[in-house]
Amino acid sequence: MYNIDVNNLNFYYGEFHALKDISMSIEKNSVTAFIGPSGCGKSTFLRLFNRMNDLIPDIRMTGEVNIDGRNIYDKDILVDELRKEVGMVFQKPNPFPKTIFENVAYGLRVNGEKNKKVIEERVVDSLKGAALWDEVKDKLKKSAFELSGGQQQRLCIARALAVAPKIILMDEPASALDPISTLKIEELIFQLKKDYTIVIVTHNMQQAARVSDKTAFFYLGELVEYDFTEKIFTNPSKEATQNYITGRFG
Amino acid sequence: MRKKMFRGKKYFIEALWEGLLKISGSVTSIIIILIVLFLFSEGMGIFKKKVVEDGYVIAVNKNNPVKDLSPEQIKNIFDVKIVSWKELGVNINEDEISLLRLDDIPNYFPEDQIAEDMSNLPQIISQILKEHPGMIAFIPEDFAKKGFSEKVLDLGNINLKEFFGGKEWFPTAQPAPQFGVIPIVMGTLWVSLGAILIALPFGIAVSIYSAELASKKVHKILKPVIELLAGIPSVVYGFFGLIVIVPLIQKVFNLDVGETGLAGSIVLAIMALPTIITIAEDALRSTPRAMKEASLALGANKWQTILKVTIPYSISGITAGVVLGIGRAIGETMAVLMVTGNAAVIPHTLLEPVRTIPATIAAELGEAPKGGAHYEALFVLGCILFIITLIINLVVEYISSKNKNKVA
Repeated sequence: MYNIDVNNLNFYYGEFHALKDISMSIEKNSVTAFIGPSGCGKSTFLRLFNRMNDLIPDIRMTGEVNIDGRNIYDKDILVDELRKEVGMVFQKPNPFPKTIFENVAYGLRVNGEKNKKVIEERVVDSLKGAALWDEVKDKLKKSAFELSGGQQQRLCIARALAVAPKIILMDEPASALDPISTLKIEELIFQLKKDYTIVIVTHNMQQAARVSDKTAFFYLGELVEYDFTEKIFTNPSKEATQNYITGRFG
Repeated sequence: MRKKMFRGKKYFIEALWEGLLKISGSVTSIIIILIVLFLFSEGMGIFKKKVVEDGYVIAVNKNNPVKDLSPEQIKNIFDVKIVSWKELGVNINEDEISLLRLDDIPNYFPEDQIAEDMSNLPQIISQILKEHPGMIAFIPEDFAKKGFSEKVLDLGNINLKEFFGGKEWFPTAQPAPQFGVIPIVMGTLWVSLGAILIALPFGIAVSIYSAELASKKVHKILKPVIELLAGIPSVVYGFFGLIVIVPLIQKVFNLDVGETGLAGSIVLAIMALPTIITIAEDALRSTPRAMKEASLALGANKWQTILKVTIPYSISGITAGVVLGIGRAIGETMAVLMVTGNAAVIPHTLLEPVRTIPATIAAELGEAPKGGAHYEALFVLGCILFIITLIINLVVEYISSKNKNKVA
């Protein structure tokens, strides 16, 4: 039972061939980590799953990305509906210049939820889900900018959870955070696994090893190796992978 | 030793540059302050001017109990709008007011006796006033001095209340010029308000389109066109307004004249648009991509993102653009002068001719004798305009200095 199925995917920025003939399947309720040196295409690949790349001009792609058995690049797919199913957390915490409460409620409001009680419940649940509730329950009406970087990032996760997605994409979610905040995010990822399918891009090898079930190594736009995390980090089958995880390049 | 010398030379050049920059900065500031001081010092002279035209006085019969007359009352008396003393609250046995100007003297006194010698005019005027208890005379100061036996009214100086509360602007009226600024200030505010009401929706719509929706190609054409709009001389806008907008308004609203406040508002709106669009667009574009992506990633569509994230984020920049646009509209002279009809009456609708502060100054300064009350009144108008634009600039400062990360 796969949640995400990618078939023969090629992606171009103008003339630049950014992703080369990639096929992979991502399981439900698992954490998959994408690793690789900068510019290898892992973020580009991640952003294909919620069609974030649509915003970039002058791009071209071939192949299929199937989520729950439907090609999300079909003409009759509504992109905003897709994005409700596939949430995203970005590299840098990017809360809105609104209150903590309104940040989490935003996704519900744009989805047409008007019932105040429902919104309140969802906000509380999401903040609890993102392990932030205890820290912010007394200052929901304060600006999100008053939170620390790590808290802001967990707020962004809560914001994504509020829309009740099935998949959560994380683009280097802890790269701008201190070690303690990073640890909290990793614990959170571990907990979220039972309810969500999580795909995480990371530069931090230990992080990939700690949080993920499967790991994919990208290099120069190609998927070099994709296997169980334990195998990738102990006994990779490709030399390039071995070199990368031992820090010999990249 | 040589190294030290080199460093000294370098230091000297740096100090020279610093000095030059400092001088140019202070010279500019001093010039600006001097201009403002000049404006106010010229303008304030008006409150030391007599109510009646310079060099003249108002005189009445010795027994007339009247003490004080406002410029408006004097004007109405000499315009024969007030014809009895009762209307002024004065009880006198000859209630009907009769007027005496220098030209009228022959009607009361044989002309051949006057012509002989002008020096007996004070006596002649005194005699006429004595015979007519209800008469009011407007005569040169000189004739009210030696040998003049009747009462000269001490009307005092033009005061603030009459100036800022006066409803009539008629600076060439005789004997008492009318310096009520209300119609002109109101005209300015009406025209500017109308301009903003027109320019605001257009400006914001275009800036949103240009910043968020237009393709790169369209933007590449749109941007220079809008900037070109800012470069067209205002007299050309005035010309356009006069030839196109004025006749159009006359036809559409079926008016006698098309030169109205509305025409001014439309021309000003077109002129304020580039300012509003350019600044608002820059503000919209300054919204971080991360913010928009966050919104889209939560399933918000393009419009929701624009309305709920982009606009709230850039609202201070948009407001600054709008307020600066108003500033431009209020100070604009030529185009408005050409299309608003320049009637100094308090406007009730935008479909009446109005007159603005800058248009008044531009049109009247040439014919106002230097140092006279009219001349000084125009400077006070300049001060009022200066204060309005200063307030606008302060508002812009305040808005733009406000923390962008405020809780929306």
